[in-house]
Amino acid sequence: MFRRRRFEQIPELNTSSTADISFMLLIFFLVTSSMDTDKGLLRQLPPLQEQQPPTDVRKDHVLQVTLDAHDQLAVDGILIPPQQLRDQIAEFVASDRTDHVISIRTDRATSYEAYFRMQNAIVAAYAQLREAYSRERFGRGYGELVEEQRDEVNQYYPQRISESKPSEGGAS
Amino acid sequence: MRRMQSIFRRSSHDMPGLNLASMPDLIFTVLFFFMIVTHMRHDDVKLRYQVPAGTEVQKLQQKSAVINVYVNSSQIQVNNQLTDIDHLAGLIEAERKKLSMENAERLTVSLKADKHTPMGVISDVKEALQKSFALRINYSGTEAKEIQ
Repeated sequence: MFRRRRFEQIPELNTSSTADISFMLLIFFLVTSSMDTDKGLLRQLPPLQEQQPPTDVRKDHVLQVTLDAHDQLAVDGILIPPQQLRDQIAEFVASDRTDHVISIRTDRATSYEAYFRMQNAIVAAYAQLREAYSRERFGRGYGELVEEQRDEVNQYYPQRISESKPSEGGAS
Repeated sequence: MRRMQSIFRRSSHDMPGLNLASMPDLIFTVLFFFMIVTHMRHDDVKLRYQVPAGTEVQKLQQKSAVINVYVNSSQIQVNNQLTDIDHLAGLIEAERKKLSMENAERLTVSLKADKHTPMGVISDVKEALQKSFALRINYSGTEAKEIQ
C-alpha cells in the first residue's frame, strides 16, 4: 500500500517552457541569418594592359558597342534601342565565329545599370548561339552537356570581347 | 430561475483549455526550416546599394572563395571594411591571404554595385582588381524574367 503510493507520485517534467526556448532560438536565427542568394553575371577580366601587346584587328571584324554619358546605346555608330542589342550581337558573332571582336566603349558618366544590361545582352547572345549549336551537334541543351562537350561548344563560339577604358567626362 | 443560472454557470466553467503540448514541436519545425534555407550573414553592409536586374544571371558557386566588394557612387566596402579606391588593391590582397590555397586560386570577386554608380567608379574598381590579379568577377544582379 505504502509502496504503491510512492510509485504513483513521481512528478512529470514540466515542459511548458520548451515552446519559449525554441521561440528564442527561432528568433535568433531569423536575426543572424539572411536568405538572399548571390546571383550575377560571371565575367573574366583581362590581365593588366602593360603585359599584353595590343593586337591589330581588321576593322570589319569589329563590332563597336558604345554607351555614352546619357546611357544611349550605339552599335557601329548607329543608335539602337537596347532590346535589339542581343540580336545584333548574335547575328554578328554567327557571321564571323572565330575572328570577331566585340569592342565595348563606355563613358565615365554612363550608369552601371546600362552597362549591366549591355553585358546581360552579350551573355544572352552567346548563350543563344551556344544553345543552338549544342542542340545541333549533341542533340541536347547546353546545360545538359558534360564538361568536354561544353568546352567544345565554347571553342566553337569563343567570347572575344575587348573593353577599353571609359572616355573622360560627360561629353556625348 | 436559480436553476437556470446554475446551468449557465456550469457551461462557462466547462470551457476546455487549449492543448499546447505540440506547440514546441511546431516551433522547432519552423526553426529547422529557417536553419536549412538561410545562411549566416557575414558582412555588415555599411553602404546603401541596389543591384541591377538581368535575365541571364546565374547562381554563384563556391561561396567560400568569394570576396564581396560593395560599391556605390561615393563609397567602397570590401567584405566587412569600408575603404577607398587607393587602398582597394591592397585590401583585396590581404583578404586573399586569409583564404586557403585552393580557394585563393579560384577566387571570385562579387561586385555588388549600386545601379546608379557611374562607370568611372566601376572602371577604377576593375582596374584595382586587375592590379591585385583578382580576374574572375561576378557582376551581382537580381533575376528578372524580362528587362523593360
